[in-house]
Amino acid sequence: MDKAKFNAKGLLRNQQVILLVVLFAMAAFFTSQNSIFLTNAVFGNIISDWVPLVLIAIGETFVIISGGIDLSVGSAVGLSGIIAAFSMRYFTAHNMTDNLSLTLGLLISIGIGAVVGLVNGFLITKANMVPFVSTLVTLGAARGLCIVLTAGGPIADGPSNAIDLSVPKVGPFSYPGVAVLGLVIILGLFMHKARFGRYTFAIGSNAFAARSAGINVNRHLVKIYALSGALAGIAGMYFYLRLGVGSPTSGQSGELNAIAAVVIGGASLSGGVGKLLGTALGSLILVTVTSGLIIIGVAANWNQVVVAILIAAAVFSQGIRTLGKKNK
Amino acid sequence: MTSQTPIYEARNISKSYGSVDALVGVNLKIHAGEVVGLVGDNGAGKSTLVKCLSGAHQPTSGQMLLDGKEVEWKTPHEAIEAGIETLYQESGLAPDLSVSSNVFLGREELVKGPLGRLGFLAQKSMDKKAHEDLERVGIAVPASNRAVSQLSGGQRQAVAIGRAVSWASKIIILDEPTNHLGARQAGEVLNIIERVKSEGFGVIFISHTLPHVLQVTDRVAVLRLGRLVADKPTSEFNSETLLGTITGLIGE
Ligand SMILES: Nc1ncnc2c1ncn2[C@@H]1O[C@H](COP(=O)(O)OP(=O)(O)OP(=O)(O)O)[C@@H](O)[C@H]1O
Ligand SMILES: [Mg+2]
Repeated sequence: MDKAKFNAKGLLRNQQVILLVVLFAMAAFFTSQNSIFLTNAVFGNIISDWVPLVLIAIGETFVIISGGIDLSVGSAVGLSGIIAAFSMRYFTAHNMTDNLSLTLGLLISIGIGAVVGLVNGFLITKANMVPFVSTLVTLGAARGLCIVLTAGGPIADGPSNAIDLSVPKVGPFSYPGVAVLGLVIILGLFMHKARFGRYTFAIGSNAFAARSAGINVNRHLVKIYALSGALAGIAGMYFYLRLGVGSPTSGQSGELNAIAAVVIGGASLSGGVGKLLGTALGSLILVTVTSGLIIIGVAANWNQVVVAILIAAAVFSQGIRTLGKKNK
Repeated sequence: MTSQTPIYEARNISKSYGSVDALVGVNLKIHAGEVVGLVGDNGAGKSTLVKCLSGAHQPTSGQMLLDGKEVEWKTPHEAIEAGIETLYQESGLAPDLSVSSNVFLGREELVKGPLGRLGFLAQKSMDKKAHEDLERVGIAVPASNRAVSQLSGGQRQAVAIGRAVSWASKIIILDEPTNHLGARQAGEVLNIIERVKSEGFGVIFISHTLPHVLQVTDRVAVLRLGRLVADKPTSEFNSETLLGTITGLIGE
């Protein structure tokens, strides 16, 4: 289609436009039901929920575009958060300044997440396990470790200013939220404008072609899973800031929300197709639904039903759009 | 036939997939400026030999020599770096990527400066060059930023051939390049083969269309059940004797 013929039909084929329309429609609906929805406090909450979700959903997007799946991101959030919490408790007990201890906590959290991702990568490329199974293994192992290490309770006594950092400062964004927003943009450029993303798409589109074009497919896959884990690590630290403690249940079922966000965002589970902007909007839709339903007083369990409908609608509309392409 | 050292040579190559012996002690030589036809029935081992020569598979035993020096490919990347380009029988293109992204796959151009060091792509320049490369090869393709999945089977094949021809520096291996092509496009592919031959490349041409093989090759190697059963100048074959050799009606 050339630019002169840019029309409404073309617009509707664009997943991002559809997502924006859905998002505004939802916001309008929730506001009409309860005008509280349109306040900074609610937006602040929505963004605070969005930040950790978009982090793991972006990792999941790279993984899914490469033709894989990462079921371990939720557990990686939990494990990295509590290891960071243990470390920061130790640092604080040894009179380290809050800021230094938070910085180290962040690095440790990223490191633990990356280790989970590296384990996934090695199980997939060296042990030849399919991604579904290898990340199922690390899902169980990491969540199990969370419970064992913490005996199920929160890990407190870290830096006392941690929770201040999760307060909205820039519109609905906290300072860490702004940093994550910046990171989202950078990762979007890496996905769509840089070689890292190009190889990811190529592998998911046709791994044989990627390999025979000289791409080191296994090494790239390890990098992708490590990135996914590292982003889960940042999300783990973010939950720590929000709660002020490390919780062994942080990120629980995060993998399902992440996959939902990716699918709603328009990526194909068979690989090779996806957009980071789609995932960012998909995540935003998910957290908006959750907050909105609570605010208009719908029982919390309906949330899952609505999310299920959104996923079905997204996949359905994807089918329609591909049909449209093929008929051209 | 020339007596100089072949640019590429396979000596006594065997390859087994589990209990299947796909190749047994196969020898093959390719000289510069020579087109070697590789023929045989379905399952004879042609693609397997191609994959050994291109580094996609490792032979179970045997040697390969490039310019007379022994080489061993652990990955396709190493063979590509050495100047060997391959068009595989199964699609070697990533359908979700654009034409130019496919042409440049694995050797992307980066923007200059620090962003380039971070891996940022010079997409405009690649779009332009891919278009020029394909045109130079004599292949008309639609806009190079179109996704390959939106091309016809023949156009895809053209992109894959263009990719191989524009990057090769020594050897071009074409595994059934005229598949999916109409008569006119198949004719274009044969022209391309003749041109790269005249530019001094060594070409391995695999096809089940024997008239094409007889038309464009200098020498024909025949595989049957994984064994080389004939390797002679094309002039010593006609379509009947070639078919007979392939099917085994004519013994060696
Ligand atoms: N990846 C593989 N795993 C197991 N067996 C294989 C594999 N690839 C090929 N084979 C077997 O090796 C033998 C040779 O196959 P190959 O693909 O080389 O034949 P070919 O001559 O290219 O045939 P065609 O003309 O049909 O393309 C066949 O028996 C085939 O079944
Ligand atoms: Mg074959």
